[in-house]
Amino acid sequence: MTPESVPRDGRDRQPLPLSERLLSGLARWWPYAPALIPVALTLAIVASLVGASALQNFGWGFFSFNVTKYGILIFVVGSFLTSLPALALAMLIGLGIAVASTTFLPGWLSSWLDPFVDLLAGIPSIIYGLWGFLIVAPFFGHDIFPWLAPLLSGIPGFHTAVNSPSKEGTGLALAIVILTLMILPITTLLMRDALRSVPRDLWESGLALGATRLEVASRVAIPYSKRGIWGAAFLGFGRAFGETVAVFMVISQVQRLPTNVYGGTSTMASLIISEINDNLSGTGLHYLAEIALVLLAITLAVNIAGRWMIRRTFTDVAGI
Amino acid sequence: MSALAPPSSEPVVAVDRVTVRARSRTLLDGISIDFSARSLTAVVGPSGCGKTTFIRTLNRMVDLTPGLRVEGEVRYLGQNIYARGVNPVVVRRRMGMVFQRPTVFPISIFENAAFGLRLVRANEDEIDTAVTEALERAGLWEEVKANLDGPALSLSGGQQQRLCIARALAVRPRVLLLDEPTSALDPAATQRVESTLQRLKDDIVVILVTHNVGQAARVSDRVAFLHSGRLVEVGPTAEILERPREKLTEQFITGRFG
Amino acid sequence: MTPSLATPLEAIDDLRRDRTGHVWRRTALDRCVGWVLPLLFLVAIAPIADLVYWVGKQALPTFTWSVLTTNPSGAGGGLFAPLAGSLAILALATGVSVAFGFLGGLATAEYLSERAAGVVRIAANVMVGIPAIIVGLFGFLAFVRYFGWGSSLEAAAVTLGIFMTPYVYRATDLAYSSVPSHLREAAVGSGARPLQYLLRVATPIAFPQVLTGVFLAMAIGVGETAPIYPIIPSLVALPPLGLSQPVGALPLYIWEGFENGLILPTAIHRAFQAAFLLLVIVIGLNVLVRVIAARSRRRLEGLFQ
Repeated sequence: MTPESVPRDGRDRQPLPLSERLLSGLARWWPYAPALIPVALTLAIVASLVGASALQNFGWGFFSFNVTKYGILIFVVGSFLTSLPALALAMLIGLGIAVASTTFLPGWLSSWLDPFVDLLAGIPSIIYGLWGFLIVAPFFGHDIFPWLAPLLSGIPGFHTAVNSPSKEGTGLALAIVILTLMILPITTLLMRDALRSVPRDLWESGLALGATRLEVASRVAIPYSKRGIWGAAFLGFGRAFGETVAVFMVISQVQRLPTNVYGGTSTMASLIISEINDNLSGTGLHYLAEIALVLLAITLAVNIAGRWMIRRTFTDVAGI
Repeated sequence: MSALAPPSSEPVVAVDRVTVRARSRTLLDGISIDFSARSLTAVVGPSGCGKTTFIRTLNRMVDLTPGLRVEGEVRYLGQNIYARGVNPVVVRRRMGMVFQRPTVFPISIFENAAFGLRLVRANEDEIDTAVTEALERAGLWEEVKANLDGPALSLSGGQQQRLCIARALAVRPRVLLLDEPTSALDPAATQRVESTLQRLKDDIVVILVTHNVGQAARVSDRVAFLHSGRLVEVGPTAEILERPREKLTEQFITGRFG
Repeated sequence: MTPSLATPLEAIDDLRRDRTGHVWRRTALDRCVGWVLPLLFLVAIAPIADLVYWVGKQALPTFTWSVLTTNPSGAGGGLFAPLAGSLAILALATGVSVAFGFLGGLATAEYLSERAAGVVRIAANVMVGIPAIIVGLFGFLAFVRYFGWGSSLEAAAVTLGIFMTPYVYRATDLAYSSVPSHLREAAVGSGARPLQYLLRVATPIAFPQVLTGVFLAMAIGVGETAPIYPIIPSLVALPPLGLSQPVGALPLYIWEGFENGLILPTAIHRAFQAAFLLLVIVIGLNVLVRVIAARSRRRLEGLFQ
């Protein structure tokens, strides 16, 4: 039987050819496809780094402090050493500003001041870096450290044998200060929005029970905004942990752990940007991709944990 | 003078020619009214008549709205609460307040009721006694005694509102101010709140703002009718609702407006 | 009624003399904190005021029209090429991020089920958290090397576009999701087709918010160094000549000023001028965002009651 002689009705009963089924599927599903763009891009980024890192060449040997054998732990520690203190400072100061803005300042004044803080979030990090290196660093080195260092030298990590521990002013301490300033707007902004979302009659019932403004803020508003405050912490940490240019410019980069807070060190991000130009291929590139992969893994883990935690605290609050 | 209530002849709260102005409007216009111990006064009137402003004037919650000016005096046991040197925190501790929607805090039932006592650093024994007593007086004890550490937000709307009443009572105020406390509740929950209020007036001064004439008739022993910021008339509930002297009052209670 | 507080009521009936419950101490603490906390605004604002003042002071005395019109030469010259390069990269990157982010956000808000949208939103939020340097390294690995585009305008623009995508995506998603659902019901109930609803009802409401998202993404993108530095590591002094040609960019000239500035003073002058230009662009975009947001808020005030 030749193909031409297939009866028409019989042909109708056959399953549609694959191409047509794909097309009709596409027609039905095409509006959904773009929604996957963020997922696809994230996966592409992970895949490219995994491919370039050549885990198979180094094995797991990179989990060591030995830089000459491509160990990366120094940089992991460096990243945490800069970002965690900066996060703590930015959360404390940011919470203070958020409470001041929502609780203590009259409305007209906070509506003037708040946009300034928001604007700070947009200043490019390279400008922070330039300013930190050329202005803040000499100021710290000449005017702050010489009298502050002797005062603090009893604290572990602050001990220093000389009175002026870092003449240039650059190092871990300056990196923490600059990072704090850089993430302060974002933590402030998020916590302020969280506090502002506390219903007005909840504030008022606190006051009506004879609480002061401070007591309502600390006992009602802050517990109520737990979720937003956690969100601010996780987002602020992500910013600080991945910050690259500004940290590199002020940390007085060396590939070892700092001996005290005034010393130089490296973070994962600052190492990548300072080395990429000289390592556009070969082992060096594998090494940098591996560092990037670890940086990405930690960032993603913190982010996902943060989202999960925020969701949990939210259901706690809602009593569900 | 008894420890708990002054002689009923002396008003606990005396409102004396109180006028409240916003920038361009007069919200309350020369209001004078006394509130004596062991009474439940319903403040009724159409929406926008100044009921909420009035009740917020009594415990200085008006301080929170920028641009409001208060003239005249509100005297608590003979002392003007707007006088210099009077701390609003001290005033508010004596006048509990309950809002339109339940405003429980996102903490446990017990901690909600204990909130005001924790502020004044009461010791644990005092807090335990006062919380139990307040929950009993608010008619909530039997329902929550097994679950005091559970989240307050898991309670139903009516239970939450009674918890707010208990929270206000726990600091032992002389006056309880309620701003349309049942407007967000269903009829059954409303009924329970109303019976709670009727029991409360045996101890303290209850001032209830409501736009619901039926509620005023059910629970109050005195009605004050406000219209456009003026106190139109005030008198025993039965008298005002059955034989109002003023035309406006009659129109309002027969449902012509409001 | 049984007394529950240790302090009998008559002892505290005098409003002025009441000291029970530590009320004076609590009130004093509240006052002090009320004065001290607002000073923290200074901690946030003063350093940046100093930064802006200082960049302006360094840049303005030497800032002439020739900065905008001449190309860099050696360690001196103007900034025409990097400014044009930055704007070219930004324009193309905005196109890429709008193509990805707008369509993605629209599909998420309008087509996905709540459950599926939740998953995709997590991915978008996580993507916002990816450090810029990692996106830059990805761009280098994918576009410069794997696709072989080389150190070019197109590679830089697509990389920066990918970096900006989640911002546009989230703004679009949020904008369309927050259109009140009763409007859709009303539109469909009165016989509108889904596409008509999307174009005539949802888009006019959501558009200002999408626009502010795009401008914010641009403000973030234009100042970023880390996503483009791995792609164009050497300094280019020529304006953009084609998609496959390398270009200069303002942040790269600031970077160069930092690296060579201590040896070559002219390089540092140029860096300040580049920093000043960047600040003007970034602050300008931010102000624009605020104006659009405020105007659309007024226009739609009645809608979200």
